Amino acid sequence: MEFHIDLGPQYEGESIRKEDFYVEFGGSAVKYKFERATLKSPEEVEHEKVEIIGSDIKDLEEGGSYPLAILIDVAGEELEPDMEPVIERRIHMYSNYVEGLWHMAQRNDIWLRLSKNSFKKGLNSLREVGEIYNFLFTSEIPQIEKIQTTFITDEKRIEELLPSALEVYEARDARARELKDEDVDEFYYCVLCQSFAPTHCCIVTPSRLANCGAMNWFDCKAAYKLDPEGPIAGFPKGECLDPLKGEFSGANKIVAEKSLGNYDRVYLHSAFEHPHTSCGCFQAICFYIPEVDAFGIIHRDYGGVTPAGLKFSTMAGDTSGGKQVEGSCGMALELLRSAKFFQADGGRKRLVWLPKEIKERYKEFLEADGVYDKIATEEDVSNTDELVEFLEKVGHPWIKGEVELPG
Amino acid sequence: MTKTIAIAGKGGTGKTVIAALLINLLSQEGVVLALDADPSTNLNQALGLPLRDTMGRIREEFVEEVERGRLPPTVIKQELLDYKIRDSLVESKRIDLLPMGRPEGPGCYCAANYMLRHSLDQIAKNYDYIVIDCEAGMEHISRQTTRDVDVLLLISDPTIRGITAAARMRDLIGELRTKVGKICLIVNRVKNGLPLEIGKAIDDFGLQLIATISEDPYIADLEIKGTPLIELPQDSPLQAKVKQVANSLGL
Ligand SMILES: Nc1ncnc2c1ncn2[C@@H]1O[C@H](COP(=O)(O)OP(=O)(O)OP(=O)(O)O)[C@@H](O)[C@H]1O
Ligand SMILES: [Mg+2]
Repeated sequence: MEFHIDLGPQYEGESIRKEDFYVEFGGSAVKYKFERATLKSPEEVEHEKVEIIGSDIKDLEEGGSYPLAILIDVAGEELEPDMEPVIERRIHMYSNYVEGLWHMAQRNDIWLRLSKNSFKKGLNSLREVGEIYNFLFTSEIPQIEKIQTTFITDEKRIEELLPSALEVYEARDARARELKDEDVDEFYYCVLCQSFAPTHCCIVTPSRLANCGAMNWFDCKAAYKLDPEGPIAGFPKGECLDPLKGEFSGANKIVAEKSLGNYDRVYLHSAFEHPHTSCGCFQAICFYIPEVDAFGIIHRDYGGVTPAGLKFSTMAGDTSGGKQVEGSCGMALELLRSAKFFQADGGRKRLVWLPKEIKERYKEFLEADGVYDKIATEEDVSNTDELVEFLEKVGHPWIKGEVELPG
Repeated sequence: MTKTIAIAGKGGTGKTVIAALLINLLSQEGVVLALDADPSTNLNQALGLPLRDTMGRIREEFVEEVERGRLPPTVIKQELLDYKIRDSLVESKRIDLLPMGRPEGPGCYCAANYMLRHSLDQIAKNYDYIVIDCEAGMEHISRQTTRDVDVLLLISDPTIRGITAAARMRDLIGELRTKVGKICLIVNRVKNGLPLEIGKAIDDFGLQLIATISEDPYIADLEIKGTPLIELPQDSPLQAKVKQVANSLGL
């Protein structure tokens, strides 16, 4: 294939400043933009076709910022719907392979710039960019049998198509949230917080994000790739020693190494025996309430106290510092979405007290477990006696003995 | 190779003016990233540039989004921050400006700062020069980048307090993660020559004096009108001395 400009990974690091771009697409100056890869049936894809809807680069005024949608349609017997996001992410990679083309971000946030230099060299049409995509995709991903690329610069068309793209992204996120520990071979650890808690090591799996909430399995995977020597790294999860409690030989090994020998076992999905350590950065604490043999959660932004009269800061002091504290676990709030949320102990069904704000935020998941209207908040009770009374009155399934522990 | 120059010193000694003039001067040689590490963000005015978002605001917003669980699980947070930081860059002809804004408040910033350092380091690679206008010392900046500093210009007025502050900033560098190459002192706003006592203090502290700058007759007028300071005439003492410093440092 002959193109006006050079191609290759050596161009990936290049950045194009405002002064040096011929035109830019997307970015914060432009309202409508997105990119999307779609798996289609072979009849729906005209192989190697490039279509441009709206103005092409050469018709655009120099120095301007324009709307853009990039649609990559692929077909191939061995392609699976799961690969759509992977293929879509390659738009970023392959765009940056192009000399003088710069691409940032993804989905409906894309931002591209074409350098004056490459425009001068003859890259003055999206058709050529499409041909480059078609070429790179088919040569790098052999499962792609047919591919067609469509660019839309017509703002109205993009606006019309954007909602359906957003739906696709959302559906993908929903699927990603269903990814479980058993679906992957690699877990990640993060020791960013060791400057505060030298024995703390977050184990991050598809079912368990880091205590701070800022690093999920996907983020760690990306961080490890960017900086393989860094504080976030992957490891083989090893043998699953206890699927309910979430004990894995690989995680035990890492914890032993990174906790400086203080711990050699960790249960990822239980608050008892060998619970996960807590740094100082956790968003919330899942705490045991002995009077009712159940759990409550308190989060950093909650100014009030638990039924036992404790503030977040007081409880955090006892939980943090890289210790394994039975019945008191630092956690990310988003863990409440996880299907494995302290599953060995009864999961969400054993929650009896939450700050109102959190109860509302995770309503959907609590309702699905049939406990939404059984959980007390600071508005319902102000001490443990009232909590016991409340739970009996509403008939919390855990208190009534209706929740069976798994296994 | 990118050359990184940091400008630090006691408050009100002329850091921002000198940073702006140096940035303007270096932009004739190459492309400059102007990093405003002072939370009160006024380097942009000295340069005559507008202000967009600050790194501090982006960090707070990010931490808030994480706290609320609002970010889609498969949008890589590092990439999101890369994008936001890139977008907050004020781009002008040969100078791009990045205001760092306020340092972090209480709460957890381990992950956010880790990712932001990566974003900033990625951006910094693309410039011939990086000039950092510090708030006072280099603490704020050293948390936000893993880059080392080639030249640290300590700015003082002709006062014992100013010189002592400069010496203290030099001594504190050992505690920072940032490594610093050359360290030089500029005494600014000198009237009728450098006082003997000040010269002695500089020697006693073992500071290396690279230039003294006299009172500038033009600057007050620009400050009154709010004109960008880079518009100082070429025969202004500040302009002339900044040029001399750049030359003698081989920048
Ligand atoms: N050589 C000079 N002659 C006269 N005025 C000067 C000179 N250098 C600086 N100034 C004035 O001193 C004041 C402080 O300067 P500048 O804002 O650059 O200091 P700074 O060290 O950046 O202060 P801050 O610590 O508040 O950021 C300004 O009003 C400036 O115009
Ligand atoms: Mg200043």
